[in-house]
Amino acid sequence: MDEETGGVISNPEQPASNQQSSRHIAGESSGSLVEMHAYMRLAREWDLRFEKMFRTGALSKWYSSIGNEATTVAAATSIEAGDALLTLHRDSGAILRHYIDIESVLPGVLPEITSTRKAVGGDSHARFFRLTCQMLGRQAGFSCGHERSYHYNLIEEDNGLIHIGMISHLGSMIPVAAGTAFAFQQQGSDRVAINFIGEGATSTGDFHEALNIASVWKLPFILVIENNRWAFSTPASQQYACASLADRGAGYGIPGIQVDGNDPAAVLQVMQSAVERARRGEGPTLVEAMLGRHRGHSEGDDSLLQVPEQELGEYQSSDPVDLIEKKLLDENLLTRDELNDIEERCAALVMKMVDEAMSMPEPDLDQERRILED
Amino acid sequence: MKTEITADQEVLYIDAISTALSDEMHSDPSVVLMGQDIAGHGGAFKITKGFLEEFGDKRVRNTPIAESGTIGIATGAAMLGVKPVIEMQFADFISCGFNQVVNVAAKMFWRTERAVPIVIRLPGGGGMGAGAFHSQNIESWFLHTPGLKVVAPAFSGDAYRLLREAIRDPNPVLYFEHKFLYRRERSTVDPSSLNDRIEGESRVLRSGSHITTVSWGWMTHRTLEAAEILAEEGIEVEVIDLPVLSPLDLEEVFTSIEKTQRVAIVHEATATGGFGAEIAAQIGDRSIWNLDAPVRRITYPDSPPPFHKGLEATRIPSPERIVSELKELFQA
Repeated sequence: MDEETGGVISNPEQPASNQQSSRHIAGESSGSLVEMHAYMRLAREWDLRFEKMFRTGALSKWYSSIGNEATTVAAATSIEAGDALLTLHRDSGAILRHYIDIESVLPGVLPEITSTRKAVGGDSHARFFRLTCQMLGRQAGFSCGHERSYHYNLIEEDNGLIHIGMISHLGSMIPVAAGTAFAFQQQGSDRVAINFIGEGATSTGDFHEALNIASVWKLPFILVIENNRWAFSTPASQQYACASLADRGAGYGIPGIQVDGNDPAAVLQVMQSAVERARRGEGPTLVEAMLGRHRGHSEGDDSLLQVPEQELGEYQSSDPVDLIEKKLLDENLLTRDELNDIEERCAALVMKMVDEAMSMPEPDLDQERRILED
Repeated sequence: MKTEITADQEVLYIDAISTALSDEMHSDPSVVLMGQDIAGHGGAFKITKGFLEEFGDKRVRNTPIAESGTIGIATGAAMLGVKPVIEMQFADFISCGFNQVVNVAAKMFWRTERAVPIVIRLPGGGGMGAGAFHSQNIESWFLHTPGLKVVAPAFSGDAYRLLREAIRDPNPVLYFEHKFLYRRERSTVDPSSLNDRIEGESRVLRSGSHITTVSWGWMTHRTLEAAEILAEEGIEVEVIDLPVLSPLDLEEVFTSIEKTQRVAIVHEATATGGFGAEIAAQIGDRSIWNLDAPVRRITYPDSPPPFHKGLEATRIPSPERIVSELKELFQA
């Protein structure tokens, strides 16, 4: 695999200008906001690109993460190398945040910022490229064409990367996520596991069973509900009758915290305190990030027609990428030119990755895929 | 109760299981036991009695009544270096964790080349008047699922060896232990030769030239009884036991059929879609030109296990019924 990917993407693009790298953003929270924005923008361009490919018929299926970027990027910012990340199909922001050092794939895209976070190691560019190949079902993708989009694992112990992907049965990876936390606890490490789930899958038995055991065993586990109010075509009012899903935390004897999922700073703060609690051995936390539906269940289905126009308008007017850009401008952290430059460079990088991945070989139809480890 | 095992000493089936668990926990500190009531109480069948005191509450974990959650947690932990051994209180209860077994654990290696070394112990089978939810033989649910290994030992020696090998195997293993054999089967255990993988196994327990039988678990004992009776009448049965059902190795069976030209499969599970159907199909593929009579399946009827012991006894293949059906096969 490395032979196949190595030559194509070994030379990251040089920065268009080094204007930004001369700037310095004071303070860790301002710095993290600027940094999170870059990943949110990268995730946004990533999804926009694949949506477009779906519309032109170049891709058979796409599940969009648009609208979830603030929550997913902030949650992934709260963990470090060695922690476990378990994702769904709306979590491109978390995956890109966790996999990629944005400075190494887009040098100079960030101003100089202060960060003490210990990121995963390894070659960001090669990983980004294989991720793109995975989305496009190429042989060089993580599952060699066997599983679609985000249904794979990437575990690179030496780089501190533990990412376990979903299966289609929503909810059934929650116990597995708690299980990774159980491994950390058994091994006496201070690592934690975070897992995303939609509000729809909170109706499954696995949601209950996993949170209950995690609480009884005080596992270092944080479950983040991405509540976009719609599960495929079913509104939250037909999914659950409690006032808030965060209230369920009390039923397990753990903190349940509701947060504005469009505000990355707020999500980061909640997640950091949950992660610290988990690292201290005090057990799991349930976080409910309030989001809005921006896209259908998958691109190409008409489930978005179920969302009333006014409600959809409200979600669109609180688009998390728009909101953070407004905030960065209002607080004079970045200029409009700088935002435009970041957007252009993220879009160009995604385009380049996709174009190069499209020229990579389709899966080898003669390949043997083992069912069991020998 | 776990016991010290010495060469040539006969050990109860239940003690072989207990001792295998204990020995493997001593040899591998990453082994963790999880299950309902397994800690202080020692489990519904007392197989882990004393383990809490010996290995501590970190390695002997009572779980809430949550089969799916437990299997899922074991799967996640197994991906990161823990070796969980789960006790289903009764094999029947695994239905509550079915999705975790067949879609999460069984497909993990295929999806992602990350193995899931979990073992699920499944006390199953009937004969004790325990009713429909404590007596079923459900191996074929899982034999239909690629990505799992399935064992069903009939003897103490296999019970001991296969449990230790199951724990060492990097793949998910379903370990069917028969409750009727717990305190009735007693034979020697050899702790010295252990592999670190479960592989297909079949074993000729008794040679015969007239009929081949294939069985596992409790039914192997009943088939041996039937063979003893038939021998007195001059019908020689070649009894083949399958301690391992997946991977499946039927080479001994195909070879035996060349000699006997007649074969019966005896299983306690219900007939339709039972594993006997698969074995019969494979025999058809490989050995049909060697057969002088149709493949016979001697099984439970297609009904749940009844509670009343007398009623239940009419369902489970008895030595007498096996004798009678094998006689018919001999004359066919």
